[in-house]
Amino acid sequence: MTGRLRGVRPEPDRDSAPWWEAVRRHELTVQRCGGCGTLRFPARSVCNRCRSRVSTWTRALGTGRVYSWIVNHQAFLPGMRDEVPFPVVLVRLDDGDDLLMYGNLVEGDPAELTPGMPVEAVFEDVDDELTLVQWRPRR
Amino acid sequence: MVFRDRAAIAGVGYTPFSRDSGVSTLTLAVDAILAALDDAGLGVDDVDALATHRVGDSTPPWVVAPALGVPEVTWYLDQFGGGSVSHSVVGQAAMAVAAGVARTVVCYRAINARSEFRMGGTGRGPAPLYDVQYQAPYGHLAPPQQFAMFARAHMNAYGTTGEQLGHIAVTQRANAVKNPRALKRDPITLDDYLASRWIAEPLRLLDCCLETDGACAVVVTSRERARDLRWPPVLVSGAVWGGGDSFFSGTGTDFTVTEAARVAPRLYAMAGVGPGDIDVAELYDCFTYSVLVQLEDYGFCTKGEGGPYAASGAIALDGELPVNTHGGFLSEGYVHGINHIAEAVAQLRGTAGDRQVPGAEVALSTAQPGYVLAGTSALILRADR
Repeated sequence: MTGRLRGVRPEPDRDSAPWWEAVRRHELTVQRCGGCGTLRFPARSVCNRCRSRVSTWTRALGTGRVYSWIVNHQAFLPGMRDEVPFPVVLVRLDDGDDLLMYGNLVEGDPAELTPGMPVEAVFEDVDDELTLVQWRPRR
Repeated sequence: MVFRDRAAIAGVGYTPFSRDSGVSTLTLAVDAILAALDDAGLGVDDVDALATHRVGDSTPPWVVAPALGVPEVTWYLDQFGGGSVSHSVVGQAAMAVAAGVARTVVCYRAINARSEFRMGGTGRGPAPLYDVQYQAPYGHLAPPQQFAMFARAHMNAYGTTGEQLGHIAVTQRANAVKNPRALKRDPITLDDYLASRWIAEPLRLLDCCLETDGACAVVVTSRERARDLRWPPVLVSGAVWGGGDSFFSGTGTDFTVTEAARVAPRLYAMAGVGPGDIDVAELYDCFTYSVLVQLEDYGFCTKGEGGPYAASGAIALDGELPVNTHGGFLSEGYVHGINHIAEAVAQLRGTAGDRQVPGAEVALSTAQPGYVLAGTSALILRADR
């Protein structure tokens, strides 16, 4: 699906570039530690449990549960004026309790959000270079 | 404990708080520092150290010192960070004094946070922090949004309500009515609170602190030296800064608990007191919710009970734990933490006027309780009478 940028363009760093490239290919990934197998997000070059520098990017399930959310009403940037109000969700991935991702709820009514509500990732192509992970109620 | 009570706050100074100071942050810093030195009965020639924190929004010590004409700087601190490190600046100054590295430290925070650099955004992009790339593209980049997200998590877990947050706003405004320095001095009711517009649901306008132009400074020196100065010393009994988890650390992802819960036991042990000994609590109130969660995390009530506790009247001036006696950042003004320390000093000196808590001897003053920058900071201050 195509979408809009409600905020500012992300600036990937040297650790996160592979994640953003995967999102561009419509793949949701997390890092798997080569030392102890722990999954982690966001991107980091070192495991904070075993300190291994070895890791691989692995496909995530693409599903999760809503942990918290807001409905934003204030246009904090001039470009938001036509977008408010809009919902932002914080999703706990089904792959692991400590894996959280933000996104907008792009389908469904924010008034019907409940804690623990199952959601699934969708990919929004913003322009020729940028794709964002977004969330919708799981069907 | 070698650190406890060795350093003291001997002077406090302010500029006026406003929406547009019309002057540079250097001018604000100089004015607040000179006022604090005058309050202590000291002069610029007595200063040998300066300490501040900033996020690209203020003037550093190595500009302020020559502007003041400080004879020689033997120690300084120019810490990166916003509200979460506010109390570590004074804590580290106390440590420098206790270690004998510095003799008279002026700690300051000087910002045009309304007319120049608004923390709430409104036109500028987010600060270039590591985690921003995962939030800002979604339009999630301003502090009210982040705290709204955590407030909702608390509501989900414990049934916390907007009305309970509203009691914090109403209580603090009642305190501000008694504070001539406060920017907001019209009383508000719970109905006013509930009628205020959404900023980021579940937070309303009256959940949010002010954005303020102004500066505040405190003078830190040794207890012995402070005893020879103008006011009875206010001792730094405990000072803590630290934490470890942020909202993206991949550990500690229960966002109903802040870093305050981690540092509080260490802080109390350092000062040799417990929550029941605190007479006045100046709790970082960038938003009402940050007060609510700190009531729990500093041990004044159990986890999940912050809402009912706040709504019970316990945090009012005549309650069991007077909180944000000056009106806080919600109603006095927002200088990112240091004005909490200054108010605690006034309470412990017994000079807080109509808002004085009778007999206040021990105060807790706290910084933004974590999430951003993976840490917080706090002080326990004690009257040396």
